[in-house]
Amino acid sequence: MEREEVKKRIAAKFGAKVKIEERSPRRVYVYAENEIWTDLARFLFDDLDARFDTGAAVDDRDGVEVMFFFPFDREHYYVTIKTFAAKPNPTLNSISPIIPGAKWIEREMFEMYEVNFRNHPDLRPVLRADTRPADFYPAKREVKDSHETVRERDDGETRADETAGRAPKGKNP
Amino acid sequence: MVKKIPIGPFHPILEEPEFFELHVDGERVVGIDITIGWSHRGIELLSEHKTWDQVPFLVERICGICSCSHPYAYVKAVEDLCGVEVPLRAQFIRCIAAELERLHSHLLWTGLAGHFLGYNTVFMWTWRFREPVLDVLEAVTGNRNHYAVMKPGGVRRDIPQEEIPNILKMLGDLEKNNDLLTKAIVDDPVIHARTKGVGVFNKAQCRLYGALGPTARSAGYDIDARRDHPMDAYDKVKFDVILCEHGDVFDKAVVRQLENFESIKIIRQCLKLLEDTKPGDICAEIHEVPPGEGLGVYEAPRGEVLHYVRSNGGNMPMRHKVRAPSFNNILTNELSVLGNTVADAGLITAAVDPCYSCTERMGVVDLRDGSRRTLTEADLVRLSHEKTEEIRKRIAADRGNG
Repeated sequence: MEREEVKKRIAAKFGAKVKIEERSPRRVYVYAENEIWTDLARFLFDDLDARFDTGAAVDDRDGVEVMFFFPFDREHYYVTIKTFAAKPNPTLNSISPIIPGAKWIEREMFEMYEVNFRNHPDLRPVLRADTRPADFYPAKREVKDSHETVRERDDGETRADETAGRAPKGKNP
Repeated sequence: MVKKIPIGPFHPILEEPEFFELHVDGERVVGIDITIGWSHRGIELLSEHKTWDQVPFLVERICGICSCSHPYAYVKAVEDLCGVEVPLRAQFIRCIAAELERLHSHLLWTGLAGHFLGYNTVFMWTWRFREPVLDVLEAVTGNRNHYAVMKPGGVRRDIPQEEIPNILKMLGDLEKNNDLLTKAIVDDPVIHARTKGVGVFNKAQCRLYGALGPTARSAGYDIDARRDHPMDAYDKVKFDVILCEHGDVFDKAVVRQLENFESIKIIRQCLKLLEDTKPGDICAEIHEVPPGEGLGVYEAPRGEVLHYVRSNGGNMPMRHKVRAPSFNNILTNELSVLGNTVADAGLITAAVDPCYSCTERMGVVDLRDGSRRTLTEADLVRLSHEKTEEIRKRIAADRGNG
């Protein structure tokens, strides 16, 4: 389906709850409100016949931006749908009941960013080691910030030198 | 009574970590639980601490076999963000390197599948045919793997004119060898009996699970990022997207074998078109990466690779998302092993050419009495060889009777 037609149909169905932005002839971004998130995914996948590709998350301090990529292969462009799950408890409805291929990527977003996907059939961590604490979400901005701080404080001057690119003091291990 | 059979954390064919827990009723698989992440290296987070130019060296180490595809998708994402036009010569060089990679990757898989089926001659032939491809990659890029060809804006190395006759000679030899290999596979009744109707994943399931590459095309799901999201020289050359219809292990093998011919076709056209470009004009300068986001995809040998980058205007990505095709394809095993036997499970899980690796051992848990036994890699391969041998004898006996 052509780009203009897709944009028109999304705008007609979801009105003010979406904001559509076209960055280039091959990239369309649709920003959606939380409440229509699964409806939008279903509309693209079932009604507009887009292919499901994968998803990604970006921690934005106040919340987590969650996105899924839906390519229209015959017409050579991607539609990326985005929504913002606000902290402290970022929560969204899962699209896995509609698209089973999204199961693992939602699990990954959960274990990395603590995004809780409601109605997910099996929201367990998918990548991390069993020994990692259950409440440790490595890609969260807060975790990254605390990690850097702790490392410098614990390792002292030597570690600071090393991270600045200078050779560590003492014997070469 | 349902038993549970754990396969992992190393796959029997591919020597990489994963874990499958097969739920079996007798010899029949009735369920599966898959665990990945055994070699999670935090590449995405590492990438956020590298400059835009350093990241290709990192992402080519995601996978030794796809060490051209990941940097390719990454540089396309950066170029999408910057709006850069890549010089024509660089476009052809990128395609040549990427197609050479596809050739050696497909040949590697065919060899491993042959080994698992009990056809060690196929394994040895295939890997012998693969060697000259690696030699050419070494001559052209400096390395057999990890080619370090890709760079945002172009490529790092030109292809010297004097290398071109060697590449063409290798392609000519490989074309004959691949033809021989394809006929051997397609005509063999034992391979038919062992792979046809095994591990079927149909077109509708491919769409629901987001299956990619040969896994999808073997079921007739017509997707190929080289044609669908044309990048660089792919819209300047002619090639066919190979499709089959059954989605079983046999069709997955056929798709890969036939794709080798298409790769040879693409490389020959690129080498021809390279003559009309100016030597040395291989990279467009990118002075700074503006704030924003970029999406890059490339059709790796196993399927479409996707890289997403976000910039805050600094000299490093603020976010870098990598999705390898195996992430989608391994999940397809959830359905494709159901109804098959344990002897076929290793083959089916390897048929998607997963980019993790292979199972060194397998444990069998009998839920009835709680007993547990562990099978080694050799046991798993033996199980598969025994089944092939049984079929071979049966076919020979049928012919004798006929």
